[in-house]
Amino acid sequence: MRRYWLYAFTLFASASWADLPSDPLGSPLWAYNIERYLGQDVTVVLDERVGLSVPGFAEDSTQVPLAVNLREFPHKVNKVVTWVDMNPVPHLFTANSTDGQLKLVSLNFRVQQASSVRAAVLDEHGVWHIDSGYVDAAGGGCTAPREILTNSDWESEFGTLKTGLFSRRGNTRIKASLLHPMDSGMVGNVPAFFVGDVEVRNETSDNLLLTMTLSESAAENPMFVFEFEGGVPHLSIHMKDNNGYQFETAIGEVAP
Amino acid sequence: MSRLLFLRRHIGWLVAAMFWVFAHSPGASAKSYELEATLVADGVWVVVGSTDNFSKTNGGNILNTGFIETGEGVVVIDTGPSRRYGEEFRALIESHTSKPIVKVLVTHHHPDHAFGSQAFEQETLYMLDESASLLEQDGEAFSDNMYRMIGDWMRGTEVTVPMNRVQPGLLNLGNRRLRLIAMQGHTGADLVVLDETSGVLFASDMVFFNRALTTPQTPGLALWRAEIRQLAQLPFSVVVPGHGPLIKDDRAFIQMIDYLTWLDDVLVDSAARGLSASEVIETAIPERFSEVEGARYELVRTVSHLYSDYEKDALSRH
Repeated sequence: MRRYWLYAFTLFASASWADLPSDPLGSPLWAYNIERYLGQDVTVVLDERVGLSVPGFAEDSTQVPLAVNLREFPHKVNKVVTWVDMNPVPHLFTANSTDGQLKLVSLNFRVQQASSVRAAVLDEHGVWHIDSGYVDAAGGGCTAPREILTNSDWESEFGTLKTGLFSRRGNTRIKASLLHPMDSGMVGNVPAFFVGDVEVRNETSDNLLLTMTLSESAAENPMFVFEFEGGVPHLSIHMKDNNGYQFETAIGEVAP
Repeated sequence: MSRLLFLRRHIGWLVAAMFWVFAHSPGASAKSYELEATLVADGVWVVVGSTDNFSKTNGGNILNTGFIETGEGVVVIDTGPSRRYGEEFRALIESHTSKPIVKVLVTHHHPDHAFGSQAFEQETLYMLDESASLLEQDGEAFSDNMYRMIGDWMRGTEVTVPMNRVQPGLLNLGNRRLRLIAMQGHTGADLVVLDETSGVLFASDMVFFNRALTTPQTPGLALWRAEIRQLAQLPFSVVVPGHGPLIKDDRAFIQMIDYLTWLDDVLVDSAARGLSASEVIETAIPERFSEVEGARYELVRTVSHLYSDYEKDALSRH
């Protein structure tokens, strides 16, 4: 009986996605996660210019680096969505680039088992451009106990925010490192406790440059990297976790 | 009878039949490391492994082990990646000398060097104190990973922490004078053995030659580099690196210092420029390291082990 249900589901899924390009990595979750995170009846194209970069294997399943490097991307960037197909909660982050000037976004993630990873970018015409990568892994990253617990003074270190401002090829890059357990809620007796919202602002004009929402796939002690087009001398970053803690700072001087 | 019911009733027989087939298939027990001992000095042998990564093809035979006949028994250096390697290694030693094995020195706690220990008499096994603690702590996780990487070669292997501790200093045994040196660069506790009688230097994983060094437990690249400079001062005739070919001059040390300096510079410079880890793992490997096996693979690992500390050092706190 279950099998018939599965057939019906597959038929239904493929029927509604007549225009969806086939997955270059052949994942069974391709159409399902696209529909889940980008919506139904959206226009999707495969596009390497999205510049998704993940390592071929996870040396540490709890800390895998990911970057979306949009240097070659010819369109305006309205939104970037990333997910890890085989994770219990696949979604990693959604970044809204309010003025379309986002050039790079990078964040470390957890991987529960070997998985395809996706980055989808929404352009000014409403088209989603998707790039894919594959990470081999021993796995277990989402259900591993946090490292920070083994450090007895984690409570005094909790919330430590370190930032830097860098000039890259005429663009402005910021880096922010936050000491936070980012508990996924998938470890026994440890409730979900993670930063869900991030905002970056141009301090001079008070314009919002970026808003970002994170999910359970984000790794402990997140390291955010954002690059914006052109020179932005004064910025600020603001983060909020699901327990109401807020972390914010101005980021002011361009490093030489 | 439904298919499911059939399966339930006969599952015992099916499993038994499968075991019989596995036990009698030629592949099951035919695996052999085919170890060979090379005589490098009078009474000193080395067993040279490949410079590849762990794989189900090589069974983890990617390291160099050795043994020394002292006149008062045999001293063994490292035991290999699995019980099977340990057993074959011991048989190989016993085919070259009839003297008893009196001391087995396990140079550090990494699985490729310490997982063959089961094959030797427990009272002959020696390790640095700190290495033994590290093996207690990490052994099971290493073991899981080894089963994943080399599979059946690991059959029957259990983590064995040597019961005896080795003290740094001189060890006079028969006609040999061995100098035991405790270092830290590779794992925090690394034993180096210099046979002063022959000049053979068992540098273990303090030295990789034409094979990219590995960094999962290094306390720091600068410390490691300083210790390589100390090693280069020793009166050696042959260097036996932990991984890579034997060498009679100081080229392995020169390569190690060059490579460690390059790695450290890449990490410092990338952090200063605000690069993300994803960008650092794509750093070009200099042409002069073209003979260093596995450089790209190990760079990806090293960035994972070390880069976040370099990154945080380059940021300012609020």
